Amino acid sequence: MTRGMTFRLLVGLLVTAAALALAGRRLHVLYRLGRLAQPVAPGRTTGAAAVLRAEVVEVLGQRRLLRWTLPGLAHLLTFWGFLLLGLTIVEGYGALFVRDFALPVVGRQAWLGALEDTVALLTLASVVVFAAIRLRHAPAREGRRSRFFGSHLDGAWLILFMITNVVWTLLLYRGAQVNTGYFPFRSGAYASEAVARLLEPLGERGNTVVEHVGVVLAVTVVMVFLVLVVHSKHLHIGAAVANVALARRPRALGALQPVRSGGREVDFEDPGEDDLMGVGKVEDLTWKGLLDLASCTECGRCQSQCPAWNTGKPLSPKLFVMGLRDHALAKAPYLLAADDAARAALPDAARAEGERPLVGTAQENGVIDPDVLWSCTTCGACVEQCPVDIEHVDHVVDLRRHQMLMESAFPEEAGIMLRNLEHAGDPWGRGGGHRLEWAEPLPFEVRVLGDDGADRLPDDVEYLFWVGCAGALDDAAQRTTRAVATLLHEAGVSFMTLGGAETCTGDAARRAGNEFLFRMLAQANVETLDAVGARRIVVTCAHCFNALANEYPQVGGHYEVVHHTQLLADLVASGRLTPVTPVETTLTYHDACYLGRHNRIFAPPRELLGAVPGVRLAEPPRTRERSFCCGAGGARMWMDETIGTRIGHERARELLELSPDVVTAACPFCILMLGDGVAAHLGPEPARPVEVTDVAEILLRSVLPARAAEPAPEPAEPAEPAGGTTP
Amino acid sequence: MHVVVLVKHVPEPTATWSFADDLTLDRAAVEGRLSELDEYAVEQAVRLVESGLDARVTYLTLGPAKAVEGLRKALSMGGDDGVHVVDPAVHGSDALATSLVLAKALQHIGFDLVLAGMASTDAEMSVVPAMLAERLGVPQVTFGGDLAVDAAAGTVTVHRDGDDATEEVVAALPAVVSLTDRTGQPRYPSFKAIMAGKKKPVQTLTLADLGVAPEQVGAAAAGVVVRSVSVRPPKQAGQVVVDDGTAAAVVADFLVARGFA
Amino acid sequence: MSDPAPQVLVLVETVPADPATGRPATVRRPSLEQLTVARRLGTPAALVCGPADDDVVAVLGRHGAATVYVVDAPEVGGYLVGPKVDAVTAVVARGDVGCVLVTSNAEGKEVGGRVAVRLGSGIVTDAVDVQAGDGGPVVTQAVVAGQWLATSQVVRGVPVIAVRPNAAPVEPAPVQAVVEKVDVTFAPASLGARVVTRTPRAATGRPELTAAPVVVAGGRGVGSAEGFAVVEALADALGGAVGASRAATDESWYGHQFQIGQTGKTVAPALYVAAGISGAIQHRAGMQSARTVVAVNKDAKAPIFALADLGVVGDLHTLLPQVVAEIARRRA
Repeated sequence: MTRGMTFRLLVGLLVTAAALALAGRRLHVLYRLGRLAQPVAPGRTTGAAAVLRAEVVEVLGQRRLLRWTLPGLAHLLTFWGFLLLGLTIVEGYGALFVRDFALPVVGRQAWLGALEDTVALLTLASVVVFAAIRLRHAPAREGRRSRFFGSHLDGAWLILFMITNVVWTLLLYRGAQVNTGYFPFRSGAYASEAVARLLEPLGERGNTVVEHVGVVLAVTVVMVFLVLVVHSKHLHIGAAVANVALARRPRALGALQPVRSGGREVDFEDPGEDDLMGVGKVEDLTWKGLLDLASCTECGRCQSQCPAWNTGKPLSPKLFVMGLRDHALAKAPYLLAADDAARAALPDAARAEGERPLVGTAQENGVIDPDVLWSCTTCGACVEQCPVDIEHVDHVVDLRRHQMLMESAFPEEAGIMLRNLEHAGDPWGRGGGHRLEWAEPLPFEVRVLGDDGADRLPDDVEYLFWVGCAGALDDAAQRTTRAVATLLHEAGVSFMTLGGAETCTGDAARRAGNEFLFRMLAQANVETLDAVGARRIVVTCAHCFNALANEYPQVGGHYEVVHHTQLLADLVASGRLTPVTPVETTLTYHDACYLGRHNRIFAPPRELLGAVPGVRLAEPPRTRERSFCCGAGGARMWMDETIGTRIGHERARELLELSPDVVTAACPFCILMLGDGVAAHLGPEPARPVEVTDVAEILLRSVLPARAAEPAPEPAEPAEPAGGTTP
Repeated sequence: MHVVVLVKHVPEPTATWSFADDLTLDRAAVEGRLSELDEYAVEQAVRLVESGLDARVTYLTLGPAKAVEGLRKALSMGGDDGVHVVDPAVHGSDALATSLVLAKALQHIGFDLVLAGMASTDAEMSVVPAMLAERLGVPQVTFGGDLAVDAAAGTVTVHRDGDDATEEVVAALPAVVSLTDRTGQPRYPSFKAIMAGKKKPVQTLTLADLGVAPEQVGAAAAGVVVRSVSVRPPKQAGQVVVDDGTAAAVVADFLVARGFA
Repeated sequence: MSDPAPQVLVLVETVPADPATGRPATVRRPSLEQLTVARRLGTPAALVCGPADDDVVAVLGRHGAATVYVVDAPEVGGYLVGPKVDAVTAVVARGDVGCVLVTSNAEGKEVGGRVAVRLGSGIVTDAVDVQAGDGGPVVTQAVVAGQWLATSQVVRGVPVIAVRPNAAPVEPAPVQAVVEKVDVTFAPASLGARVVTRTPRAATGRPELTAAPVVVAGGRGVGSAEGFAVVEALADALGGAVGASRAATDESWYGHQFQIGQTGKTVAPALYVAAGISGAIQHRAGMQSARTVVAVNKDAKAPIFALADLGVVGDLHTLLPQVVAEIARRRA
């Protein structure tokens, strides 16, 4: 063996051994940390076909990344570049042992050389694109608007630098190999040949030295890269692959997960002594939860879509996840210490990290500020965008659960809503006695369970009409309820309501973290629904829809639930309702989060509006999957919105830019919030009034113009807080 | 120090109430709850302990079997134990008999400070704390808007809002104190606290345990007999006008016609 | 009530003379209303705890109090309730009293409750009407947040009845009042709760809320403390008192002592004007005995309109000043 080859092998193997030791130690720590965490829910790790499909589409195909064209393409190139450059790493290691090493079979074919060189150049091009994006959208320039705001910027630049190093060291030794005659490719590798021409003046000896040093440099760069990756956000290179495989499918939206402890559902009737109630410490996350944290690439797509962040609130889903991850890693020595003595021996900073409250203000040295935690509307825009399937909403709710169930720490106003749910069965605290008032102005009889003395739904009833608290008690929503009832009546659909026997589905309680109250309400409702023999249910509220359809199966209630827009669209399609009278108006439609993103009901409301002659539908810029929240979800409806600007006002601004006559939505809470926002923008005496109403109301105007002539509601007084004894 | 808080399980105010054949409120027909106004007294008792007072907090209730739910709710907010006086003979008791039974129960379990809400949300008489003080021969301090206990001096101090003055009132312990809804928002118990509340001891006492004869209580012993109960005739809703700029004249005409202006 | 023509004892609430304005001492309106009730039931007698100067005795005589018992001792003002209980029982012990009437407010009910215990009597509170009947007075009460009416009779001992303000009219029935000073030995237990400080609030110059014939009340719709100026202006135009809903007092827009509702004052005026008050049940519990109700609210669906003899859907800030102006114009 020549001195040069000995140098190559020795240094190359030494560097590799050192790097593998460093990386291995890090991975071992991460593994032990994962072992400390909670087990995942049963069923998460099964379903090979779906996993395979997800891997192909999300990882190999980079589906979600490609929604953002330029950065998506650049990432696709880098991703595939790295897969192919893997071949050159094998070649590099081969060259440590055998000076003219080539891959078996295809290792000397010209096309491979050409491909490798092309990929290397394209990777370099991607680095330039990434650098340009980062410079253009630098937080220093764009502030909070930048999706990179709060990301670890130095780390990102370091990685770009390292990618560059990988490419130039590769081309360097390949060029020298060409000149020394040890290059596996006789032709094709055009870039390497170009470098060879540059190196030619160094002569035989010079090129030999460059080749030896270059190979060692290339291997060293790869190894340093490895060490950097396992110590930085670029852990996502490995973690994301696993995370996509383990993700909730089809997506981590819709139903919330039950409260689990040790992988088992908590029995709220008889909880175990040590059962965890949500996440109170970072190690209370499941190991899949920790994997979520490790998978975050800090790309900020979530942040750019978040209604809280975009209205000046402190919550960014990215910063939330980063905060948890950085804390988990910093707390690792504390958590992994063998015993109290070892823990006491830790450096002060590590001990302090171990004692930080997970949720707390800056003064309390909390990891997540309460203002961050309670700003979330659970709209799911972050989950929808995340390229690596992080389940932000589930984590937010899990943290809220601990605050609610164990600490009783939550915004005071939410307590009024919770008390009202407990005592009156609705968030306003009105009580069941008021639940039929909506029907009083109707010219026909609305059937109520029990009216005819029967305690079960008669056979001729096609649908149980679940009116919902808003639908029964809120002025604007009552109009929708009446519009839907009138349309069903007109179409000859027989339906019945539960009247005073209905109570809140518990959606807001659950999203505020009060699983206990949610279960109480849900179980009572399931008992009622089962007792009356309900099978098919129609609802007008997106939140009721989500709870009844997606969450009640968790408490044993299985029903066929349709949203009124679905049922009405069917009735129009089948000719049972015929919109004939033109409604000459320009309107826009706002996708409710819990109808659209969470439940994929995008088409029916648009079909309804499309069927009405005269209607011109203007879509807002943020629509369907990327619809911007109204601000009411996640129990935010029942909390004061004092930080930043109001989400509903921001959405109203966007909708009003389309100059519509009518803003439509298909959820009573969206209509409340948008009504408020539109009124705020237009002022008390607008030159051109804009109505905010449900799509059913528009349909009614076309089907039965006479019936639709209810007076428009007066702008209400500022909403009364739903106070217990507050008159 | 032994703090005893009087709590009452009352029908949900938002539910529809009815009267039974014997003209008593039909409590079985509606959901019940811990009287909202009692929660303020419970909250103050718990805060006393949290602020460092060395005290045992006991909740005392008188009522049918279901009334134990009121005790459990109070225990979920804090405190140590509950006492439930339950006896079929009590049904139909008036304030006199209620105060008699509660006084006997308080003497039975012992007390230094008795706390009560400003009224129950069902009977709304607000006389029981005063009657108790009379029966127990201890000072009464009612409608306190706050509460301070000086254990060393053995006194209790409250501020109360009168019609034309704010008064600071001091009484020596033992004493009966009633507290208003101005004292501070009652806490919303966590699930953990609800579970802990379920495990706290609740003692059940009968009239015999208290040395009260059945004929001293119930409808037969009542000082007041209800002759009839009727739903207040709903007021005939009058004229409603939408203000188009002329409503002021309509209002003025109305006030003049009725002799108010 | 076996005695022939027994005395019906009214525990009188007085307002001391105000030397600053020269206003003489007077009797609160509810006590005068109770003298009307007393005349229906027997021979009216009055009990004044504290100084009873000639003005007070004269007013009581004009309204039918033949006997005015006076218990004037420093203890009466310095302690809560207890001394007054001793005073009432001392008078009842003289043997001529067949019924005791107190005002159905916080203090009256407490005195009544303790007197009832001491006498072994039945007590009825929150009376909105009292009439003579076979076997004693027949009392009508508003119960369950005022949604139900119950009639009842005391069947044990000397009946103690707490009467709500405005339950009866004030009627002159002049007699020559005889003053009887009563010496009371106060029980130690009655001197347990000592008033250590009294911070009087500035007088508003308006009638006392619970007794006022006209009440103008503001709620959430008033919007701010400053907003109450229009409410006060209308109250002054009508010679009424100002009240507020809990929503308004919780926001500190108006003093807590003016809160009307289940946890505040109960009023039963001849005219109640509700401005920007939605009329939740807890508020209605405090005002639904009002004889005439005028409501102003932006929300046409506000429950208050169901109670209103006249309702205006509109902005109170526009309407109330216009009404004040209209009233002034008609008077001019």
